[in-house]
Amino acid sequence: MVRILLRLNENLVSEPIVSEVILENKVLVAILAAHINSKGGEIVLEVPDEEVDKIVSAFRQKGATVTVPKLIEVDSNRCFSCGSCVALCPVEAIGVTEDLSIQFNKEKCVGSVCNICVDACPARAINSVKFSNAENMCSSNVHREK
Amino acid sequence: MSKQNQKTRTIEEINQKIFKGDAQVLTAEEMKKLVESSGVEVAFKEVDVVTTGTFGAMCSSGAVLNLGHSDPPIKIQRAWINDVEVCHPCAAADLFVGATNSCEKRPFEYGGGHVIQELVAGNEVELRATAYGTDCYPRTAVKTTITKDDLNQFYLLNFRNGYQRYNCAVNCGDETIYTYMSKLLPRMRNATFSGAGEFSPLMNDPDYETIGFGTKIFLGGGQGYIIGEGTQHCPKNLNGTLMVKGDAKKMSPEFLQGAAFTRYGTSLYIGLGVPIPILNEGLVKKTAIRDTEIFTDVIDYSVMRRDRPKLRKVSYAELKSGAITVNDKRIRVSSLSSLKMAKKVSQTLKNWIDEGQFTLTAPIERLPLDTVFKPMRQTQEIPFVSNVMHFAVTCLENEEIRVIAERIVTKSVNHIVVTSSDSKLLGIVTSWDITRAMAEGKKVLADIETRRVITAKPDEPLESASKRMAQHNISALPVVDAERKVLGIVTSEDVSKLLGR
Repeated sequence: MVRILLRLNENLVSEPIVSEVILENKVLVAILAAHINSKGGEIVLEVPDEEVDKIVSAFRQKGATVTVPKLIEVDSNRCFSCGSCVALCPVEAIGVTEDLSIQFNKEKCVGSVCNICVDACPARAINSVKFSNAENMCSSNVHREK
Repeated sequence: MSKQNQKTRTIEEINQKIFKGDAQVLTAEEMKKLVESSGVEVAFKEVDVVTTGTFGAMCSSGAVLNLGHSDPPIKIQRAWINDVEVCHPCAAADLFVGATNSCEKRPFEYGGGHVIQELVAGNEVELRATAYGTDCYPRTAVKTTITKDDLNQFYLLNFRNGYQRYNCAVNCGDETIYTYMSKLLPRMRNATFSGAGEFSPLMNDPDYETIGFGTKIFLGGGQGYIIGEGTQHCPKNLNGTLMVKGDAKKMSPEFLQGAAFTRYGTSLYIGLGVPIPILNEGLVKKTAIRDTEIFTDVIDYSVMRRDRPKLRKVSYAELKSGAITVNDKRIRVSSLSSLKMAKKVSQTLKNWIDEGQFTLTAPIERLPLDTVFKPMRQTQEIPFVSNVMHFAVTCLENEEIRVIAERIVTKSVNHIVVTSSDSKLLGIVTSWDITRAMAEGKKVLADIETRRVITAKPDEPLESASKRMAQHNISALPVVDAERKVLGIVTSEDVSKLLGR
């Protein structure tokens, strides 16, 4: 599965474009998080690997901005493995390894729509990646963050 | 008695072994496993020293700096390093950098703890100071950059360190709170705890048999000394603390890390490790203590009082398992101190002793066993919500808007609290809501009431309730108990009346 982030402008928020794309393409898409108000919105979706290109272009045709987000950046030089972040994570994307290091599971993290851990890190080692970063823009050939 | 069967050994004997390179040193973690597998007698024969460690946020920390004299000399009155105000408690050129003092330009993000870490790392920091000027110290201002090499003395000096154990924190309130126990989500959605449990120095010697004044320790990656009991030392409660000092010039930034707690302030994480000489079998038993035997309280930090409610007792074994249960609710819990770094401290101290770089000292005096931690004597009490709250005018959810409008007039209030038949809080309506309903022709209360009600508790300080009203731009808070039963209401008028007195 690949995670993609849709950004909708104020004209699009009232349109059922997620449902349209799902029905037109007959692809199962999981909505992981959505923050929408009258000015616009962000939706994080999970899409099967083999369908990503099709789904991304379908959303773009409908006017949405689509990115493959790098959701969280953890500065391992700053992290001293206290673990304050672990129990805060609503999707259990942060765990403790056997040697008591803190491990981020980027597959599970939902990123900027959550951000609960960011301001709780005493080492300030967690940064939420802002999506204005052009480098994360999805191309027709989508590569996944490893 | 042959040496093989002796029941005690001395620190001098252990130091002789350290010099010869044949002292047997185990970390606290290894010792517990050995005692479990081989028993107390074998462990006593085999082990000379057990090394402990902790790595936690130690807010009551700081560093003493001596700058030397400027030319012309200055008797510093106020001073800042990297825009963090530092104290100038005594003579001309001595400063104390407090870990929790925040930078004026980046409050809560950068503070004294970070300044200490930067100095320890060898970084250059900016010093500014001002003074009133005297005949012997004529200069009134100075601005310069310094590194630790420019300082005459640079000592880490911590009033209170090495907490024997600490609380587990939760938030039973309705809003996220930011505390020195980190971010606590509402309705107990997470918990935090501090302390290393079975690795903690004082937990491995709870009667302070070997740990005392003058004990040489691992401090911040260098060597330090225990110079007495820490402030708030409360041994009867298993809340012993240590006052420590060490040469910060020889410390390492890995074991001294500045930290930022959102909306609380800055702090300093410190690696502290104490070697425990195994002088007798009693100390074997003490150092065999496990997390299952160390208990602390789960405390509700949403109560803004000195004595916060204790919800239950919990063992460090449960805390380290990642989840605890409180009132049948499973709560994920995470450690605020670094257990990984705590283990690294005890391992590093073990290596030092193995390599003969670190010998043990006998305490010149025992830590007190009878001191207590008293609350502050207050000559003035502050007002609490219960002091000003009054009877709340209420209605039921099925009442007609017209009836409620009449009640607002006859009772001359602006807020009506909507309750269930058993007085539990359901919502609130204001005279403005009613006016609007009339204008828009709405008849049903459910369409106009506010259901996400910001509330107050009777035992919270009025100041914090008043702050919450301002934050949410509202003028009244229903006062509820833990079961959300309505006890009364507090309004902004009540607050202004009290202030006007």
